[in-house]
Amino acid sequence: MALPLSKDVARKYPELASLYDHLMMCTHCGNCRYFYEYRPDVNLSAPNCLSGEYFYFDSYTASRGKNAVLKGVLSGRIPFDEKAAHVIFACTTCMACREMCETDVKDWLNRLFETARREAWKNNIGIPAGIKKWSEHIKVEHNPYLEKHADRFAWLPADIRNSLPKKAEYVYFVGCTASYRQKNIALATVELFRKLGIDFTIAVDGDGEWCCGSPALRTGQWDTAKELAEHNAQVLDKYGDKVITTCAGCFRTLIQDYQKEAPEGYKDVLGIDFNMPVIHTMQLLAELIDKGEVEFQELPEFAGKVFVYHDPCHLGRHVGVYDEPRKVLNSFKGIKVVEAERSRQWSWCCGAGGGVRSGFPDFSLWASKVRLEEFKELGAEIVTSACPFCWRNLDDASKMFSFNLPVYDLAEIAAKAVVKKK
Amino acid sequence: MPRGVDRVLKTLQEIVGRDYASNEEAILMPYSFDLTWNEPRMPDYVVMPKTVEEVQRVLSFANRERIPVVPYVSSTNIGGLCIPEEGGIVLDLRRMNRIIKIDTETHYAVIEPGVSHAQFSRELKKVGFEFGWGVHPASASVLAMTLQHGIGHLNGRFGVNSQFISSMEVVLPTGEVCKIGSCAYSDEWHSLLPLPMLAGLFIGWLGTTGVVTKLGVWITRIRPYKDVLTIAAEDAESMTKYMVMWRDLELCDEITAVSWWLAQIPIPYPYQEKPPDAPEWFSYTVISGWSEEELEYKRKMWKEVVAKARQKGCKLIDFEYPPEAKRGRTELPSRIVGSTKNYSKSCGGGLAWPGTFTPAKNWPILYEKMKEIYIKHGLSPATRFTDYRGAHYGMWRVMTPFDKRNPEAVWHARQAMREVVEVGVKAGMIPYKPPVDYWNVMNAHADPGWLMLLCKIKDCLDPNHIMNPGKLGIR
Repeated sequence: MALPLSKDVARKYPELASLYDHLMMCTHCGNCRYFYEYRPDVNLSAPNCLSGEYFYFDSYTASRGKNAVLKGVLSGRIPFDEKAAHVIFACTTCMACREMCETDVKDWLNRLFETARREAWKNNIGIPAGIKKWSEHIKVEHNPYLEKHADRFAWLPADIRNSLPKKAEYVYFVGCTASYRQKNIALATVELFRKLGIDFTIAVDGDGEWCCGSPALRTGQWDTAKELAEHNAQVLDKYGDKVITTCAGCFRTLIQDYQKEAPEGYKDVLGIDFNMPVIHTMQLLAELIDKGEVEFQELPEFAGKVFVYHDPCHLGRHVGVYDEPRKVLNSFKGIKVVEAERSRQWSWCCGAGGGVRSGFPDFSLWASKVRLEEFKELGAEIVTSACPFCWRNLDDASKMFSFNLPVYDLAEIAAKAVVKKK
Repeated sequence: MPRGVDRVLKTLQEIVGRDYASNEEAILMPYSFDLTWNEPRMPDYVVMPKTVEEVQRVLSFANRERIPVVPYVSSTNIGGLCIPEEGGIVLDLRRMNRIIKIDTETHYAVIEPGVSHAQFSRELKKVGFEFGWGVHPASASVLAMTLQHGIGHLNGRFGVNSQFISSMEVVLPTGEVCKIGSCAYSDEWHSLLPLPMLAGLFIGWLGTTGVVTKLGVWITRIRPYKDVLTIAAEDAESMTKYMVMWRDLELCDEITAVSWWLAQIPIPYPYQEKPPDAPEWFSYTVISGWSEEELEYKRKMWKEVVAKARQKGCKLIDFEYPPEAKRGRTELPSRIVGSTKNYSKSCGGGLAWPGTFTPAKNWPILYEKMKEIYIKHGLSPATRFTDYRGAHYGMWRVMTPFDKRNPEAVWHARQAMREVVEVGVKAGMIPYKPPVDYWNVMNAHADPGWLMLLCKIKDCLDPNHIMNPGKLGIR
C-alpha cells in the first residue's frame, strides 16, 4: 500500500505537506497508545492519551490516530474537514504519545499537529469557537484572557512596582495566566524573590511584557505568535540579563520556541534573535538549595499533610525539568510526599494546554478530574505544581467535582516558608 | 465527510450510544490501513460496543442487513487482517477491556478483547504470573493475538499462544452467544478438553466466523531465575542444526536465531551487504528455573549441546548479547523488544512479513532462496527462526521494512513476499496471520477437500458472509 503525497493537496496545504516525509516515518504501530514500562522495580501500564480516553475512536488516540488522519488528508484519501480539524484540535499536545514513540516521526509530532492547526486557520476549517473567541483580542491586548493590556500588572502593589529597578540580573516573565487569573502565583513569586534577595525586575512598562505567544503557537496562530515573540525578543534584554518564569508554558516557549529550530522550536517561523538564558523558578530554587543558601521552615498549616506533585507537560516532557521541582518539594519541612505512578515522563496531562481549555472546556476539566482521582486514591491531601495554567485547571476541577483537594504552586509555599541562610 | 447510510448509523448509535458509532471519514481513516502494503479500504462505520449484548445486537442487525463486519482492537498485526475489504462496519472492541478473572489456584485468566498486553502483564505480575509475551506494542490485544496463533516468549516451553486457550465465549455472525469449553458447563474456564474442540471454529479464522468476546487462557508462574545464552553461526544450516539439538532437550523457554540484517537496529533499508567478517546468524535462548542450581544445570547442558554441535561440523561462533538486549529478553513484555524501531524506524513507515510456520529442516533451504528474491528486490533478508515446542517446526519469517511514500518500493516489497510464499508453500511453509495475497497463493496449492470444508464451515456459521469478508481467499 502506498500513501504518496497528493500534489493537489500539497498545493492547498503546503506547510503541512512540507512535513510529509517526517509524517510517513510513523509506522502506525501503536506503541504510542499506552504508557508501558516494566523492570524488576517498575510495573507501569496505564492509558496515556487524554483525547483517546475521552473521544474513544482511533483517530483521537495518541499520535498514531492523528497521524493517520494527516496521512489521509495528505494522500487525498479524506478531506481536511470539520471532523478532521476536531481530531487535530482536541489534543493538549502534551506529548505523552511521544514518550512511547520509537520511530523517526517522534521529534516531529508536536510540530506536525500544530502545523495542521495552522493550515486549519489558513483555510478556516473547524476552528473551535472557544479559541476563535480570543484570537483577535490577543493581537490587540496581548493576552488571551479578554483583558486589557493596561491591566496586566494591576496585581502588583504600587510600592513594589515603584521599587523595581530599570534593569536587573533577572527579568521575571510573569505570563498571562499569573497576571490576569492566578495572581496569587505572581504575588508569591515576587515575595519569594524579595525574600531571597534576588536582583530582579519585571517588564512592566507599556512596551514591556506581552503574552509569550504560547497559546497562539500551540493553536496554529503563528502570525500572531510572531508579532508577540518579536516584541518580547526586542524588549526583554532591556530589563535584564536572564529571564525567569513561573509558568511552564512561557518557559517552554521562551527557551525552545524562541531559541530552537524545528522540530523542537519555532525559530524558523518566529524569525527572531533571542538568546537570553531562561530558567524556571524551580530551577533557581533547586540551585540555591544545592548550594545550601536557602532552607524552608515548617509551616503549621501544612504539618503532616500528604503532598503530591503534578508535572506540567511544558516543564517536564517538553523541556525535561523533572528533578528540580521535586527537590524543592522534598525540602519543605514537616510534610509527607507521595509520587503518583503516572509521574515525570509518564504524567497524565492536566488537560489545559494546547488550546483545549478554551476550545473544549468539558474535556479539559474531565482530564483534571481523572488526575485528581488518581491523587485522591494515592492519599494525597495537597496537590502542587509549577505552572499557573495547570494550577487553574486542577483547582477548577477540584472545586467543580468536590474533591476538596487544595492546589498550590510550589512557588506559593516556597514564598511562605523560605529562609535565606546566606 | 460522512459515508454509509444515515439509517444504519442511527441504528448503530441506538445500540451502542451516540458517542460510540461514527461514519465520518476522519474517524474511519485509521481503520482503513495498517503497517503493511495491503491496499487501504475505508469502512463505512465504526462501532465501539461495551457489552456482549451490544455485540450481539450489532451482529444481528448487520446480518439482517448483510453489512460486512470486521472485528478490531488495535490492528497491530502486520497482515492487513483488519482492513475492511468490502467496507461495512469496523467493530472496535477496545472498550471491552476487563480482566474478568485471574485464577491463581487453577492457573487461568479470563479476559475481554480490549485487554492490552500492558494491562494483562501488569495484573499478572502483581500475583507472580505471566503469559506468552510476543513482539508487539504493549497496546496490542492479548485476545486477538492469541486467537490468531501469535507467538510468545514461552513458545519453546509450551508452543504458540493459541495453545494456551482454555475456554471462550463467542457471538456468532447471526447474533447468538455461545460458550465453548469448560465454561459452557460452569463458571470455570480451565479447559477445552475433554469436549469436542469447537474452539477450532474460531481460532486462526481471522475473525471470519464470529466475535470472541471472552477468552480463557492458561497462565504460568514467573520463574525467579532467568538467563540468556547466546551463540552465533556462520550459516543458516549450522544455526538450525544447533537449534534443533538444543530444543530436543526441552530445557529452554525460547530458542531464536536472527540473521545479521535482523540483528541491526533498524533493519538496513534498502538492502546493504553484510560485512564479510560478521557472522550471518545470531541466536539467543532463554532459560529459567526455580533455583540457581536448576539454571546452572541448564547452562551446563547447553554448553554440552554447543560442543556436540561443533563436533558435528556446525560453524558456531561465541558472542555475547549486549546488556540492553539481554534485559529486553528477560523483562518482558518489553518496550525494547516490542518496538518498531527495531524494524522500520526510519524507512518510510512500511512493515510487513512473510511470517510462517515451517519445518526446521527446511529453514536453511528456504532462507537461501528467499535471500536471492529479497536482494533482487532491494530488501534485506532480515530473518528469524524460532523452534516451537512440539515437532521440530517453528517460526520462519522475514521482517520487511519498506517505504510507503514510494509506490514502486511498495510494489517491490509486496512482490518479494509473494514470491517467497510461492516458493515456500511447496516446502511446508504455512503463513500465519496471512494477508489475502498469501491466501491466494496457499489456496492454489491446497487440498480441495480442505478448501471445501473451510467453505462449508464458513457458510454454516456465517450464511450471509458478513464476517471480515475476503480474508481467507475463499469467499
